[in-house]
Amino acid sequence: MLIPRRTKHRKQHHPKRSGVAKGGTTIAFGDYGIQALEPAYVTNRQIEAARIAMTRHIKRGGKVWINIFPDRPLTKKPAETRMGSGKGSPEWWVANVKPGRIMFELAGVNEELAREALRRAQHKLPMKTRFVRREGGDV
Amino acid sequence: MASNENRVSASVRSDFGKGAARRTRRQGLTPAVLYGHGTDPVHLSLPTHETWLILKDNPNALLTLDIDGKTELALPRDIQRHPVRWTLEHVDLILVRKGEKVVVDVPVHVEGETASGTSYTLEASSISLEAEATHLPEYIEVSVEGLEDGDIIRAGALTLPEGSALETDPETAVVVVYVPREEPSEDEAEDTEASAAEAPAEASAESSDES
Repeated sequence: MLIPRRTKHRKQHHPKRSGVAKGGTTIAFGDYGIQALEPAYVTNRQIEAARIAMTRHIKRGGKVWINIFPDRPLTKKPAETRMGSGKGSPEWWVANVKPGRIMFELAGVNEELAREALRRAQHKLPMKTRFVRREGGDV
Repeated sequence: MASNENRVSASVRSDFGKGAARRTRRQGLTPAVLYGHGTDPVHLSLPTHETWLILKDNPNALLTLDIDGKTELALPRDIQRHPVRWTLEHVDLILVRKGEKVVVDVPVHVEGETASGTSYTLEASSISLEAEATHLPEYIEVSVEGLEDGDIIRAGALTLPEGSALETDPETAVVVVYVPREEPSEDEAEDTEASAAEAPAEASAESSDES
């Protein structure tokens, strides 16, 4: 599971979810990818589930890149707790993903296999996404 | 090869800033700027649909601009697209003359299949070339047919079109062939996860017995 090795502060404010991605909006390493169409906090468990879904489908021959990293902690207060008494304890690590961001990339497989592998990965993610390829842009 | 027939009628812009740029986009035009050869930058608006059709497949397409009756040749230097809609937001154009040599990034296309059981990675998806502005290649083709594990195609080994010279370091790896690692199947993965979970539990149990 992806998690920062060391952090300066244990708890942070919630990251802003407005706007669109400023970088990482084109395929940089692979031939195919998954692009976010909505903003979302993607947890490290969701990233890992998506990675496993696609690597198990391609079995052999492909290479996967994960372009997002869950570097923001989110906190939660325990159930049935009165308000106050400080901020809750860190519960999740999330990547703050903005629309347009290429989250996963894939290379070394044919398009049919890549589409199916990425479709399985898309089901593990919490927002609307689309399949993109290096040449030609849209599908 | 890039076509010379990409004629676009441009008009000079006099309003600047994000408000004016948004108004321009709403009228079906794309803000652009033209510079180069020591001239002052000229702010233009280009018809969005025609420009998009030209630049869609070839980001190095040579444009013949018709600016208020004056004709100029220009190459796209930078194309800004909306990250989700992929519409054109702004285009930077650089003035070129016929016969002038320019340095551009040309995409690399891979052809063929590597030897059985191997795969390849494209380490450099584009390479820098110096070529005549009017004869720019759309892409460079690389054949990986029959290549074995560990084979590397370097930039210096690429077949370039006539009149082009390589600007990238010739030692740059473009394609690397490797034997892919097999991902464990679901059953195997579950077994390893279960054994990994048992191991620390056993270790803690042993330490508690000792105490």
